[in-house]
Amino acid sequence: MKAPSMALLRAFAPITHSQTLPWTARGCLAQQQKSNFSTTEQRQARDKNRGPKKDPRITQIRYHLYHPLTPRPLRFSRNRALRHWTIHRAWQRYLDEQRKQTERTLERQYNAMSAACEALRLVDAHGLTADERTKIGESNTKEEGRLYRIAMLKTGVWDKVPIEYGRIQTETPPRKGWNHEWTR
Amino acid sequence: MALQEVTSAFIKRMQSTQTPLKQAWKLQCLRTYATDPMQKELGELEESVHQATPTDAAGKRLSQYDPTQNAKQRKEQLPPSRYQFRSPRFYRGPLHPHQPLKSSDPASREFVPGPFTLPRLQQTYESTIAPDLMTLTYQHYPPGFERPQKGERLREWVGDSPYFKNRPRRGPRGYDVLPLLRKPITFRNVPKLERVTVHTMLKGAADDSAYLHVAGMVVQNITNVRVQTHAVRKSVASFGLRAGKHVSVTSELYGENMYHFLSKVIDVVMPKIKDYKGVKGSSGDSSGHISFGFKPEEVALFPEVEVNYDMYPPKMIPGLHVTVHTSATTDYDARMLLQAIGVPFYGKMVD
Repeated sequence: MKAPSMALLRAFAPITHSQTLPWTARGCLAQQQKSNFSTTEQRQARDKNRGPKKDPRITQIRYHLYHPLTPRPLRFSRNRALRHWTIHRAWQRYLDEQRKQTERTLERQYNAMSAACEALRLVDAHGLTADERTKIGESNTKEEGRLYRIAMLKTGVWDKVPIEYGRIQTETPPRKGWNHEWTR
Repeated sequence: MALQEVTSAFIKRMQSTQTPLKQAWKLQCLRTYATDPMQKELGELEESVHQATPTDAAGKRLSQYDPTQNAKQRKEQLPPSRYQFRSPRFYRGPLHPHQPLKSSDPASREFVPGPFTLPRLQQTYESTIAPDLMTLTYQHYPPGFERPQKGERLREWVGDSPYFKNRPRRGPRGYDVLPLLRKPITFRNVPKLERVTVHTMLKGAADDSAYLHVAGMVVQNITNVRVQTHAVRKSVASFGLRAGKHVSVTSELYGENMYHFLSKVIDVVMPKIKDYKGVKGSSGDSSGHISFGFKPEEVALFPEVEVNYDMYPPKMIPGLHVTVHTSATTDYDARMLLQAIGVPFYGKMVD
């Protein structure tokens, strides 16, 4: 007696289902290949009016470049919209706070700089202001503000920022900062 | 608008119980009337509206909170919860009753959430470059210093002719256009990146739109921004241009996109270009915008193009013009900013 075919059983038995596919792709199993398998190219009917064949890559690019209309705005119920709005406002406020802090840091630096320059301007080579000099009894004011004048020189400022400094910061900088031996 | 309505209604409803919100403005002054005794110690001056309410006050408010009672007391009913304000598709002018929402409103059609990343370039700028530039260009003015007054940049017509009255002023001396003034750099106006424009003009696009599409795809991939095409305005026979034909593609980058694009250009593309000298020193429009270009071979070095180079017909990969718009008003300020970011310059620097 011939043994019954296992083909039907195999088709429906859950054991034979391969579990390698993720559950999201499980639907792909149901889709069977519709067209008959063949290695030969499927040829379209020839049309004499058509020009030379287009590059398929261009067709693909055109296909993907097309974009439908802008999707409709979000539609939420009242509470959900309120929640959404609250989170949005909170995030904006947080960003604003950060922006303000950086601004204030800059301002503090600027004020400190101008205070330092003002002090430097009033000081002579010994670090004495005019008042202190009169207390001591000295009257030589020749050197006053020399350091300030040197600090205010702008020679070479606009020439170039050294390329070693012009680097975007990273979390993992190289051990050796700059290869000074490198030549073109 | 729906949200505003809902929010205002919500606030109105809560107002009976939520006293701190109502009195927020009073926090600034210590007493309501001049004759009142001072309500607070001076130490509490820093109290802000946004501070968390104390727990006992919160508990008291919680006991007062009765939504059904509030709903009964409300004079006009709230719109049903399913009600949605629909932002109009088209703007029909300021007098139309159906006005679109502000783009910052999550229900608006133009709403874009974010930004969600903090680009490295932005961090570098805020932490290092901005203070450095401010310090480098610092000019000290002693207290009491007044800048000498300069003459008018646009001169009036002086003469006996009666036609000089109300006549538009004369053009600037020595220039066709009025050049921008450079103000001394303070903490308020440190030069910063404002936007980047990426542009390509394609000669072949007039005959074959494939050039335009491929270029659009390339630019879109590189910049992460939808491209805009531009038509020729006037025919130029010598260039083979006819009016109305779309031949160029641009994309404008702001914020996150801009920072990511620039750091990609500086850290990935420019070092990979063979024998790259840098950006020409004479580049710039003398008002703080600096441009440079990439040839088609160099555009292929962008990681987004390189990773699937086979996607594009190799002959159709376009060259690019990149314009960096900075808030500086002179070229040397803008160039210094770009150098600090890491863009190399070569040749004679022209301001």
